[in-house]
Amino acid sequence: MTATPAPSGWEDVVLSVRDLTVSSKERKLIDRLSLDFPPRSLTAVIGPSGCGKTTFVRTLNRMTELTPGLKISGSVLYLGQEIYSREVNPVLVRRRIGMVFQRPTVFPKSIFENAAFGLRLINEDEGAIDRAVTDALQRAGLWDEVKDDLDRPALSLSGGQQQRLCIARALATRPRVILLDEPTSALDPAATQRVESTMQHLKEDHVLILVTHNVGQAARVSDRIAFLHSGRLIEVGPTPEILERPREALTQQFITGRFA
Amino acid sequence: MNATPPSPIGSGVAQPLPPPTPSSVAPTFGGRVRAIAYRIGPFVPALVPLAVVVGIVVALVSAALQANILSSVFSFHWNPPANQWGFGVFLVGSLLTAVPALVLSMAVGLGLAIASTTYLPRFLTVWLDPFVDLLAGIPSVVYGIWAYVNLTPYFANDFNPWIHGHLGFVPGLGGKLPSTGGTGLPISIFILTLMALPITTLLIRDSLRSVPKDLWESGLALGATRWEVLRHVALPYSSRGVLSAGLLGFGRAFGETVAVAMLIGGAAVIPTSFFGATDTIAATMFSLLDSARNNSHFLSGLADMGLVLFAITLVVNILGRRLVTSLYASEIAGL
Amino acid sequence: MAAATVRSASPALPPDDVLTRSSGRLRWRTGFDSAIGWLLPLLFVVALYPILELVYYISVQAVPTLSWTVLTSTNPVAVDALGVPIITTFEIMALATAIASGLGALGGIATAEFLPDQAAEVVRASANMLAGAPSVVVGYFGYIAFVLYFGWGLSYIAGVVTLSFFMLPYVFRTVDLAFTSIPRPIREAALGSGAGPSQYVLRVGTPIAFPQILNGIFLAMAIGVGETAPLVLTTTHGVLVPQSIYSPVSFLTALIWSDFDAGKVSGLQVVAFQCAFLLMIVVIALNIVVRVISARYRKRLEGLYQ
Repeated sequence: MTATPAPSGWEDVVLSVRDLTVSSKERKLIDRLSLDFPPRSLTAVIGPSGCGKTTFVRTLNRMTELTPGLKISGSVLYLGQEIYSREVNPVLVRRRIGMVFQRPTVFPKSIFENAAFGLRLINEDEGAIDRAVTDALQRAGLWDEVKDDLDRPALSLSGGQQQRLCIARALATRPRVILLDEPTSALDPAATQRVESTMQHLKEDHVLILVTHNVGQAARVSDRIAFLHSGRLIEVGPTPEILERPREALTQQFITGRFA
Repeated sequence: MNATPPSPIGSGVAQPLPPPTPSSVAPTFGGRVRAIAYRIGPFVPALVPLAVVVGIVVALVSAALQANILSSVFSFHWNPPANQWGFGVFLVGSLLTAVPALVLSMAVGLGLAIASTTYLPRFLTVWLDPFVDLLAGIPSVVYGIWAYVNLTPYFANDFNPWIHGHLGFVPGLGGKLPSTGGTGLPISIFILTLMALPITTLLIRDSLRSVPKDLWESGLALGATRWEVLRHVALPYSSRGVLSAGLLGFGRAFGETVAVAMLIGGAAVIPTSFFGATDTIAATMFSLLDSARNNSHFLSGLADMGLVLFAITLVVNILGRRLVTSLYASEIAGL
Repeated sequence: MAAATVRSASPALPPDDVLTRSSGRLRWRTGFDSAIGWLLPLLFVVALYPILELVYYISVQAVPTLSWTVLTSTNPVAVDALGVPIITTFEIMALATAIASGLGALGGIATAEFLPDQAAEVVRASANMLAGAPSVVVGYFGYIAFVLYFGWGLSYIAGVVTLSFFMLPYVFRTVDLAFTSIPRPIREAALGSGAGPSQYVLRVGTPIAFPQILNGIFLAMAIGVGETAPLVLTTTHGVLVPQSIYSPVSFLTALIWSDFDAGKVSGLQVVAFQCAFLLMIVVIALNIVVRVISARYRKRLEGLYQ
């Protein structure tokens, strides 16, 4: 699969969030957040712990539905379609908006079967699955290391390799958007570096939304940074601007306190 | 990522403590006795379970060897007056009751565990789960008397004839319908299923609960339905727990004594019909002990069976327990 | 939630990106998942109906016939006098629980704290073996060892001791687990500040593990009170409260069994159900207590973790 061009008419915005509010019984986790995501970009979502960045990202593929007791209002539009609409099946949403988690979560299966998981659910034919798996593993930067034996158990891979397999797994269903929730926090520096270069490579074709507590990482890989605090979007802008000349005091405090 | 469940917190792999030492250092006779007592003391109560297990084996073996009878599990003729001690019949009976009960309790247990962990909201499972566990607490003699009085008419008049009438073409379900007043295999299997159910449900439920949340969510995030995640990710991950549920459930059903004794019909034959009466090792041992009290041959024969019974339940239990080491093992401590 | 606004007209989306489309296969997958979500919970009804029926039936049979006189009359000749069995059951349980708890707790602590790993594993395995032993096998052990070999005859004490061995592994396992679950930092802190092993066990371990220990005892009691085989095989029937350790005894589970055995439940039916009812109440109560203690203990253990 080569670079997917944005559908005509959608060159500016793939994912659009409007007035999103997520509240639990006690408090508001996300407060009237509005943000647009253009194609072929990597947006880093940063903020102090508890600011709601993980919650935010999980609303984008309807994973917040898994937590009972959360109320969601506002809208999230994927290519203009409300993903929370009653007519929309969450299964389809998740096929177009993939997710990579904090710890590598490979299934107890072979490498091939892990990568093919999403595709098998859709029941594509074997040839298509084969090609898609190869392509995904290549784009995740894992192909060379595993091509000799794809039937090996995925658990025999190192942590960094497993995480790249998780990325490949998410890529296989050809999503336009990929959500990454602190994907390198469980990895050592060398593995982190490889995942970061994979992300830089992927942002040429996808919309990447990266949650990270590591401002350095945001500086290295992202095009824009969105800073969240207590569930509100404080500031968003191109990466160099946010890092050097943030407009808000809160942003300034956070960046200077954390920039390493 | 490790596929094995996390080991218990504070698992006893810490350094064992040195034996307590007496505060007095005077080498008096009393002091020395105390020193020895302190060294050995802790080990004595710990060895009790081991001693009892060994004791069981010794007791059964010595009783079995006592009288010179030729009893064998491979022979199917049980006729003590004629000096025939083939208890293969009872082994078959035990299997005929335990295996179907195992299959049923696994099927239902799997369903309940899945419903409880994946499909039902918390506020329901909070009391439904303990309710199922309560099934395990009812004494087997209470199960027995209830089933004997309340259920046998139903089996005799409704269930057995219905199966016999509609499924009579299946070998074993046809032929002449024996009149057992409702006792026999069907009702015994039913009660054994109820008794094994809490074990299978709890073990499968626990293993499913120990699947890391991340793993579930990864599956869902790839566009799978809950069932698909269960089938392709969660259940394979918990296969050890499921296997353990099967083994321990089987052990329970195989060794059940009193309820079966009341419901099985007590005929020392391999039944030709599914609805006929038969007997199991445990039930026979229990109901015939009266005869054994006055007759050492009888006691030998029964002790022989007891060894086979004990051996089988031993193996099954050890294997089953080995597969499961979870933090909340205390919940299965009562099973 | 904003109303579904699928922007129609203008830029048409590639079919893959249309979120509202649905294929037969997708409908099947989602439909199957929903169907399972409805059917499986119904299994609860199937599984729990028998026990509700059991409780109902026994209660209905027993409750109308129970009265203070019936429960307390110790008349040895009367048919419907439960005073003796109740008291005897109580005495048997008290003694057996004491023995089982004492040995079980000490053994559990010793295994958790003092035994080297390999020995501990062997002992734990044997406790599991004992717990998994069919009640009739333990009964035979009691019969052969105590009634015959030790020469106690079919007696009160043979029954009590046999039952206590049957109950022992449950206390043992729970105590063992309770002590091994004590978080390492606490154990090490105690030992590091100079506590001797027995001081640790007494002053630190036991208070922390106490609810679990109590639980193990209640659990063993819940199991022991309902057992028939270990007792029936080692005792003989009596009509009086035990006068000596060699006495014949009469207790609740035996009454049910003998009712059944003799004439397959005829006029004595009522007594059987009365005993069954009493047993049921006791067992359910004990189970509830165990569960409550378990839940509280779990919260407390988590609290130790910050």
